[in-house]
Amino acid sequence: MDTQGEYGASPFDRMDPETARHPQPMYKLLRDSMPVMRLEGAGVIISRRADIDQAFRHPEIFSSNMSAIDLKNVRPLIPLQIDPPDHKKFRKILDPLFAPKQVARLEQPVAKLVNELIDAFIERGDVDFAKEFSIPFPSQVFLTLLGLPLDDLPLFLAMKDGIIRPNHVVGTPPGSAEAEAHQREAANSIYAYFDTVLDEREIEGRDDLLTQFLHTEVDGQRLTRENILDICFLFLIAGLDTVTASLDCFFGYLAENPQRRQQIVDDPSIVPAAVEELLRWETPVTGVARVAMQGTVIAGCPVHNGEQVLILLGSANTDEAEWQDADDVRFEREDNRHLAFGGGIHRCLGSHLARLELRVALREWHRRIPQYSVKTGHTLDYTPGLRTLDTFPMVFEAAR
Amino acid sequence: MKVAIDHELCTGHGRCYSLAPGVFAPDDDGYGMLIDDGRVPAGLESEARTAAINCPERAVTTSE
Repeated sequence: MDTQGEYGASPFDRMDPETARHPQPMYKLLRDSMPVMRLEGAGVIISRRADIDQAFRHPEIFSSNMSAIDLKNVRPLIPLQIDPPDHKKFRKILDPLFAPKQVARLEQPVAKLVNELIDAFIERGDVDFAKEFSIPFPSQVFLTLLGLPLDDLPLFLAMKDGIIRPNHVVGTPPGSAEAEAHQREAANSIYAYFDTVLDEREIEGRDDLLTQFLHTEVDGQRLTRENILDICFLFLIAGLDTVTASLDCFFGYLAENPQRRQQIVDDPSIVPAAVEELLRWETPVTGVARVAMQGTVIAGCPVHNGEQVLILLGSANTDEAEWQDADDVRFEREDNRHLAFGGGIHRCLGSHLARLELRVALREWHRRIPQYSVKTGHTLDYTPGLRTLDTFPMVFEAAR
Repeated sequence: MKVAIDHELCTGHGRCYSLAPGVFAPDDDGYGMLIDDGRVPAGLESEARTAAINCPERAVTTSE
């Protein structure tokens, strides 16, 4: 049975709203009472930092291949679902494109985008932060990066939602036939969309990533059309919602913790450290999926060959065995070995881009909007797994 | 003080050169490299230690 309606952490599909909002106590409960927990139909959840470090260091046992998560893609996503040794050759191509040196060139256009989004609502004094900021922002960065028209934004949002939360879109329980069919349709539409754009770039190249892929070589051979489609599919589902979730979690936290917010307003140089600490504490992508390639043992518990293993990043990031004061949110924290971008060979390819987007968003936002709160009468309802908000009604006072 | 990067463990999180740019530098793929063969310039010891305690893979170590 396929129970995976969410990217990352399907076992939590029925999580109650309070736990989705503040999952840290649930993580602690798991670590203390069942650090390796088997959930019928969903595999094994591991929650201790030490066990998670071991899993990340052994991709030959804990593989990220297509059996780890089913998103209705017909071939392995590149590079996430490729095992060593082939994994390395794809990362060798992709890593330089997302290295800090490359990503730094995007700082100006990203800052411009943030300010344009803010311009559209700053006079109003209220905004739906999700609908008008956290959802469009990373998607527009992505479209710009790939050289695609901004008019395609609604289409992109529909395609990625169709993959990541099909049950949410069609309004049925996870794993329903309708949701499965919708997810499959979304997958087909992604392949078809990028196939058409790549045809266009073959005829007339541009200064964008897609054109670059068409001319990239691995071991003296061009990437195949299928390779490029498998890269684009992953980019679409990994690069949009993750940043949206981070913004939703960060601003949700800061709206409810005015002292921390004031620190950023008073001293913008603290933003990079604030981003790291909020990534640790909130862990917007709560988990990543693996599959056991052989029978093995984690912390004395047997894990069977072929069983899915959910690595609970949010729990690793709040484990008292790593930080005595794990429950304190401190931007001045000196040691922050968080795993919000995962770990091991599949460390998030887009982490440097994500950090840039988050830093610029926090810096520009607080420069222009130092005071804000959740609109009275609303509570924030996060989707579990990938912690996004459908709506975030906010009232604010702009800087004079 | 000297620093070292275990390249078997490093997966390019990039924390070392972000937090201690006087001791580490990124290579073209975004992985950490040692500046000056890992010799830590005087005055940058605390920076080097910060890099070590922020490496998610525990790939960075310091020695006196």
